[in-house]
Amino acid sequence: MGDRVLVVVQRYGDVAGGAETHARELVNRLRPHVSIDVATTTARDYWTWKNELVAGEDRVDGVRVFRFMVDAGRARDFRRHERAAFRTEHSLADERAFIRAQGPHAPELLEFVHREGPGYDCVVFFTYIYAPTVYGVPLVPERAVVVPTAHDEPALALAAYRPVFHAPRALAFNTVEERDMVHHRFGNQRVPHDVVGVGVDVPARSDPDRFRQAHGIDGPYFLYVGRIVESKGCPELFDHWARFAARHDGHATLVLAGHREMAVPDRPDVRYIGTVSDADKFDALAGCTALVYSGRLDSLSMVTLEAWAMGRPVVVSARAPVLASMSRRAGAGLPYGSADEFAEVLELLLERPALAAALGEQGRAFVARTYTWPGVVEKYLDLFAEIRARNS
Amino acid sequence: MRVLIVVQRYGDEVVGGSEGHARVAARRLAARHEVEIATTTAVDFWSWAPYFPAGDTAVDGLPVHRFEVATGRDDRFKELEDAVLFGEHGLDAELDWLRIQGPNAPELYEFLDRSRRRYDAIVFYTYIYAPTALGLPIVPERAALIPTAHDELPLGLAPYRALFHLPRAIGYLTPEERALVRGRFRNEEVPDLVLGIGLDPLPPGDAAGFRARHELAGPIVTYLGQVTAGKGCDELVADWIGYREAGGAGTLVLAGSVGMDIAPRPDIRLLGRISDAEKSDLLAAADVLVHPSHLESLGIVLLEAWQAGTPVLVPAWNAVTAGQVGRSGGGRTYATHGAFATELAALLDREGAERGAAGRAWVAEECAWPRFDERLDALVELAHG
Repeated sequence: MGDRVLVVVQRYGDVAGGAETHARELVNRLRPHVSIDVATTTARDYWTWKNELVAGEDRVDGVRVFRFMVDAGRARDFRRHERAAFRTEHSLADERAFIRAQGPHAPELLEFVHREGPGYDCVVFFTYIYAPTVYGVPLVPERAVVVPTAHDEPALALAAYRPVFHAPRALAFNTVEERDMVHHRFGNQRVPHDVVGVGVDVPARSDPDRFRQAHGIDGPYFLYVGRIVESKGCPELFDHWARFAARHDGHATLVLAGHREMAVPDRPDVRYIGTVSDADKFDALAGCTALVYSGRLDSLSMVTLEAWAMGRPVVVSARAPVLASMSRRAGAGLPYGSADEFAEVLELLLERPALAAALGEQGRAFVARTYTWPGVVEKYLDLFAEIRARNS
Repeated sequence: MRVLIVVQRYGDEVVGGSEGHARVAARRLAARHEVEIATTTAVDFWSWAPYFPAGDTAVDGLPVHRFEVATGRDDRFKELEDAVLFGEHGLDAELDWLRIQGPNAPELYEFLDRSRRRYDAIVFYTYIYAPTALGLPIVPERAALIPTAHDELPLGLAPYRALFHLPRAIGYLTPEERALVRGRFRNEEVPDLVLGIGLDPLPPGDAAGFRARHELAGPIVTYLGQVTAGKGCDELVADWIGYREAGGAGTLVLAGSVGMDIAPRPDIRLLGRISDAEKSDLLAAADVLVHPSHLESLGIVLLEAWQAGTPVLVPAWNAVTAGQVGRSGGGRTYATHGAFATELAALLDREGAERGAAGRAWVAEECAWPRFDERLDALVELAHG
């Protein structure tokens, strides 16, 4: 049945994590078209890499998964190694120590890629940053597809990652912005690449009223979905919301859904509803005036794509390079550069619902163009075919 | 452009094929570019023991940065190499082998990482040694690789799998080397070209003087290079004896340091190492040059023989030298040891002059300096992108 494909990823199965979820969804979508196996570790936790699953052959969603033990989890002094490697003045030895300390160090996984990798037509590596990709790609460069899921972050400056971006047969980016950032950093334009993206799954039906009733929300609301944490820009969001509310005499609500890792302002127009089911999330997205996001570090935001898929616009920080640029390309988002602009944007959307709906529709069209599973699967199959042709 | 050349050894005292090519390339490039060299303190390719002082110096007026070798080859090397090439072993053993083979110069890698932006192109010589295998992956975005690869077992090891996919350009010495590497690594996507080499004209040789000094009459068949079994000289001697026993005439003259036992015979002369002047005389006097080596990356000695108008005889199983003979028309090949005598006789009795002239014409065209310079420029241009 078609190509034989091996997917290498640091964790796989019932584990949390963007890249890991992405890998699993992709594997399941590719299954009807190619013969596919997964090689991964026995870890469930991306921080400790503790061996929680059984080593050996496993099945996930009916797919064969080879699990290998992690010899050494994340080092206790990982942060020290990270600081050393991220300093402008650092040695190559610092970089090796950082990658080792970061883990997961799974030598048997690498032996497997070394021994069995050449028996597959293509080997797809998920996430550039971890050891299985850094040391695995150079073992099978002629059949490697790297899905880097790269952010513009300090690790990208390390020499150790240059072969990951120069050696593989193909690079599969999530967004145009990720591609441009990687090309700028590495000067590796000659490596074949494509913006393959990911698919967005949307339920056939959604019911905003069900969501409103369940949570007792009246009137227009703006929605934040994600971890409620400083690194996602939540302090800025709360500050700007307070300033917007002070000058606006309507009765809009800010609804926060997700895992809470910092204090949420105690005020009547801010509602924290905890973590939500997928069905709840889509109901909430369908009914919101807009999705709001103040974070600045993000590669691809799944929830942004989901908001667009539900026909709703997004409000994002102009300082989030990927999201601001995607919003511009989609014509489905409004960036803000200050608290005043944040308030103006929210007022505009509240006062002109037709404009908000039109922006949302452009988002829906953007997602349909690029971020549907059939389109994504087709791009991967094209990459696989090209690789097989080059190696035959 | 600013060009850095990285090579395992460099300097007057250094003898070696890829090192020699590196030095020629540096001198030629320097006429049009700013050229620097990064290398080690080693002079010999086995121990890599420190010989030159570490630090900055100059050779041929070009800046040379020398870095210390952290660890030389130790007692474990042979054992480890046997395990890696012939035995059951893990991935780690192959990486250890690479480091122990050396010359492992960590300060050289730090220099590359730190200073890479000062250079438009960085040219790495010889795939097999650590400065290239561990250095090139640090600067793939501006690297050119001159692998000087042979069809040998290490080429199959893990540390080299990505090496041939990483650079922006590859310069091969011969079309055969390119075919070997492309077939093995499927790296056709990396732009490449065949560099060859440039040659100065050979000083005119004194054939009659050579014959007189060595009291040689009749056909002279010569071999120039290390006289060792590794270079195929044991087979050459056996083939020569076969040729003589079949009624062939002449003397086999072996010039080069002798590293094997050869039973004394009146029709085999051992000259040992000879001077450049003596080499010109020998090539002028010789009727045929035989080069029995199985592995060769360039076969410079063939090119020199052709400069002197001397035809050559090579085994058909050496793709590189047989390919050169095929392209130049400057000699013949023997497909089996049994065919050696017939092929040698064909050159001595009939075709020698014609084949030698064809070789001379081909070398004059192929190894002219302007051709070589153009190819070098094209290579650094590709690396610069």
